[in-house]
Amino acid sequence: MVLTFIEIFMIGIGAGVVGSMLGLGGGIIIVPALTLCFGMSMRTAVAASTVSIIATSTGAAVAYLRDRLTNTRVAIWLEMGTATGALSGALIAGFINQRLLYILFGLLLSYSTYNMFRTRNAELPTGVVPDALSQKLRLTGSYYDKALGHRVDYQVTRTIHGLILMYFSGAAAGLLGIGAGIFKVPAMDQVMRMPFKASTATSNFMIGVTAASAAVVYFARGDVKPLVAGPVVLGVLLGAVVGARLMVRMKANRIRLCFIPLIAYTAVEMIYRGVKWW
Amino acid sequence: MVVTQGSEEKGPEEKTAEVMAIEMVLARLLRIGSLLAAALLSVGILAMVLGQTDFAPKLITAGLLVLLCTPVMRVLVAGVIFVWEKDWHFAFFCLVVLCAMAAGVFFGRGA
Repeated sequence: MVLTFIEIFMIGIGAGVVGSMLGLGGGIIIVPALTLCFGMSMRTAVAASTVSIIATSTGAAVAYLRDRLTNTRVAIWLEMGTATGALSGALIAGFINQRLLYILFGLLLSYSTYNMFRTRNAELPTGVVPDALSQKLRLTGSYYDKALGHRVDYQVTRTIHGLILMYFSGAAAGLLGIGAGIFKVPAMDQVMRMPFKASTATSNFMIGVTAASAAVVYFARGDVKPLVAGPVVLGVLLGAVVGARLMVRMKANRIRLCFIPLIAYTAVEMIYRGVKWW
Repeated sequence: MVVTQGSEEKGPEEKTAEVMAIEMVLARLLRIGSLLAAALLSVGILAMVLGQTDFAPKLITAGLLVLLCTPVMRVLVAGVIFVWEKDWHFAFFCLVVLCAMAAGVFFGRGA
């Protein structure tokens, strides 16, 4: 039993480091690891993964908030989209063709992969013209970039587009149970033109909120098994603290290079789930 | 912790101080939440290893529940700060988020 605890704990640390650096939930690592390596049921694995998304978010957010990488105003604006999206996704889940959705969201992710690859050398966004709403809501930010050694000031643009995208990303999370951060980072980075590091930190901040309402439901159903979720979450908390320390010192291009394979893999996997026939 | 008074006209310096304050408050809140959760989880897992099999899962569950509360508390506290600063737009956004979360839990339990 002790050995199993240690193994699950180690997986948690790995998922926490990756998840906190890239602004993702880490479910992409935890769910396959628990089901394939430990033979756990999908329900147990997904429940443990959902609680650990909160751990990634909370563990890393302390460092990101202190370093001003997290933009709380942008986060709260966009959380309106993810929270209402997740709600409507859960409500219409029974009436919708999941296969079509997988293909649709898979194609959207393929497009973001292409975009992200195209801009892989851009350290910071340039020539951003903020829209009127962004100015009215003061969606600005500035942080000291430890990798570049200077202060970065920015203001987001396409504020409404970002909110709409977050609504659909929330709906995807509610309908398909995937995509904690994988849609959020490209929406902020490519659509709203936030610096990449601020995008992953803000995505990391936001995923906890979406995961919390799902986690309450899993708790109520009794899917959260303390002996599985406990070690995973403890590992993820530790990993997230380490990951956040590493990330603030890394260049945006490096982090983006780690992000591209994961988003490409998720895109392919989703399209595959949509087209496979049985 | 710097809390600026809610005056009508704010200079640019005051605005930065304001942004700093909310981020510092939230950072402190999340830190307390994660430390408390980590402590409960480690004691629980240790108790499990030492053979306290009926007591340990309860401790671990308590740790997980503390962790679960942090994002909710975070939105709530942010909302209170925005009300304090008379930033009605963002206070309203926090309210929308909280309502959507509550409705999600309500409908999710029924499913």
